Amino acid sequence: MHFQRFSVVSLMMIFAVVLVACGGQPAAPAQPEAPAAEAFDLDDWASVEAAARGQTLNWYMWGGSESINRFVDEFYGTALKERYDITLNRVPVADAADVVNQILSEKEAGVDPGAVDVIWINGENFLSLKQAAMLLPDWSRRLPNASLVDWDNPAIYLDFGEPVEGYESPWSSAQFQLIYDSARMSADELPRSYAELMTWVEANPGRFTYIAPGPGAFQGTRFVKGALFELSGDPGLWLGYDEAVWNEWSPQLWAYFNAMKPHLWRQGETYPRDENELHSLFANREIDFSITQAIAGAGPLIAQGLIPETSRAFVFDDYMIGDFNYLTIPSNAPHKAAALVLANLILEPEFQAAQILPENGFGLGYAIDVTRVTDPAQLAALEEAQAQLGEAATPAEDLAGSLVADSSGEYQSLVEEGWRQFVLIGP
Amino acid sequence: MRVDRPTLHRWLMLTPALLVTGVLFGVSMFYGISQSLGYLPFIGATRVSLDAYASVLSGATPAGREFWAALGFSLWVTGISTLLSSVAALLLAVALSNRRRPASQATLLALNANLALPHMVWAIALLLLLAQSGLMARVAAALGLIATPAEFPVLVRDQAGIGIILHYVSKEIPFLVLIVLAVLRTQGHAYAEVATTLGAGPWMRVWRVTLPLVWPGLSAGALLVFAFIFGAYEVPALLGVSYPRVLAVLALDYFLNADLNRRAEGMAISLIMTVVVLGLGLLVRRIDASER
Repeated sequence: MHFQRFSVVSLMMIFAVVLVACGGQPAAPAQPEAPAAEAFDLDDWASVEAAARGQTLNWYMWGGSESINRFVDEFYGTALKERYDITLNRVPVADAADVVNQILSEKEAGVDPGAVDVIWINGENFLSLKQAAMLLPDWSRRLPNASLVDWDNPAIYLDFGEPVEGYESPWSSAQFQLIYDSARMSADELPRSYAELMTWVEANPGRFTYIAPGPGAFQGTRFVKGALFELSGDPGLWLGYDEAVWNEWSPQLWAYFNAMKPHLWRQGETYPRDENELHSLFANREIDFSITQAIAGAGPLIAQGLIPETSRAFVFDDYMIGDFNYLTIPSNAPHKAAALVLANLILEPEFQAAQILPENGFGLGYAIDVTRVTDPAQLAALEEAQAQLGEAATPAEDLAGSLVADSSGEYQSLVEEGWRQFVLIGP
Repeated sequence: MRVDRPTLHRWLMLTPALLVTGVLFGVSMFYGISQSLGYLPFIGATRVSLDAYASVLSGATPAGREFWAALGFSLWVTGISTLLSSVAALLLAVALSNRRRPASQATLLALNANLALPHMVWAIALLLLLAQSGLMARVAAALGLIATPAEFPVLVRDQAGIGIILHYVSKEIPFLVLIVLAVLRTQGHAYAEVATTLGAGPWMRVWRVTLPLVWPGLSAGALLVFAFIFGAYEVPALLGVSYPRVLAVLALDYFLNADLNRRAEGMAISLIMTVVVLGLGLLVRRIDASER
């Protein structure tokens, strides 16, 4: 009787569905070691290393760059295994915001321990997790290698203006730079300030554009903020939030970009969304400038074939915003000890020297203050790495001379929303 | 109440499917509605209110300032794409079925080829083809039709949404042709031949005979196309400009905003989109019902 058989089958399917629906929660992270095994005292570093031994570290990070992935596996993965018996499990994600959403869902569902041990993070995603109180507190300044970090530098203790307060530890640094093609123009034709850029844009209509400021396009926001710094003449003014200061200067900022708008690529009716779009416009010779944040300048982009081989990085004389990116540990991380060991390992001068070299695949700047390194062998390694950065990089003294810290976090959304309202949509 | 066996049986058979859609769809719908009401417990916001809807509709916040422009742009792009692809699909299907011999496999295959392409792939193909640095611009410049590639007309990433419309029209015509052809195949040529003997020209036949025959299928298909385009994100994100943006792009932007308090507005926009599509669906059903 096929009738009865169908009923049995459908009943079984109902049960299966109910089981799957109810079974989701406990099945989540099958971690062999319970959090109780994580007994360590952060002020006794040997106890952290002992607790970390044998752990598997789940490092969630943006996985969009093959060369960065390889750098992480080869340099940190090997060292973690050999020196601390920690197995690195690098979990590539498309966007750190996805990890933020995952942790927020874990919090909502009460999942502890969660799945994430450590995240490569900065800026708005850090702010989201800090806002949600989902970060391990008070650890980054207590790492043994924290003494190599210049914690008095606002560019380090403020992450996009948000106080770091021990919730994250720096990995590397980046600084806003522009890129030009030395086959198209010579170095002495380059604009060296926002005022000179305006003159250049007016003289070369349609040959310049910038990334639309907005969430997820911090490079565009950063470019606009640099103009704010130059107009006001004092980047220090923007380290704390002051509504009166904003009201005084923001109209001039919009006036500057509105004056530039008719001379931009596509008359400013649309703007590139991200760095890749800008690079492709630059490579297609539709525009004459691109940008980068990498300490190795145009080198890594040339190596990837994104821009012409004759491309060179340069900076204005001042107001080039630099920042740091960090590692952070969720408060429900299953392997906090291993995460702490990694955060400390990353600050070792040998790895800091390795990360600035484009051929190693990473190509971002130091997190440490190299003048605090005293060991002669480590100092030699750092100097050798610095000497190997090629001609596609901005000279180190230009970078240092123009470096300013980012503004207080409140200005981030004010700049982004104000730009949309007053420049993009128009007065 | 006594439920007879076949009815009970039918519901039992439906239960697995209903459970899956009910749980997956229902739970996310519930979360969406509660977040749009400002209930975001993971940042400690538990007060439920209609603030997000009010600020979106009144234009008080940055999301609201763009809302009406985005709604208008979405309706424009969606409406014109649906209309053009429906009309083109109708005419194409009529042309294909009017022939003495049924359309060959090769013709149908050529017509349906881009159905297999994901929207992202098709959109990127259009971008590579039609952008000012794209293939057509370069060819035109090489042939001397225009002086430099940058003089090529702006067909993608344009403020009127031409690129998005081109994409959806080219992508949805095959889909709608499939529906219309399926209806026409079951009808045979009898009606059309009767109309011809009564003196109807080709246009008259399409208008008075074919359209009423295929209308139920075509209107349902067009509604599907409308709902799909109205809610789609990836193509407007790829082929659109920074402003105006479609509602889906605006909603996701605010849903992913670093300031978690903005999430409510993103969710509110998404739910307003749902209401628009549902309202249109009910309207079409009512028109259909009154015509029968």
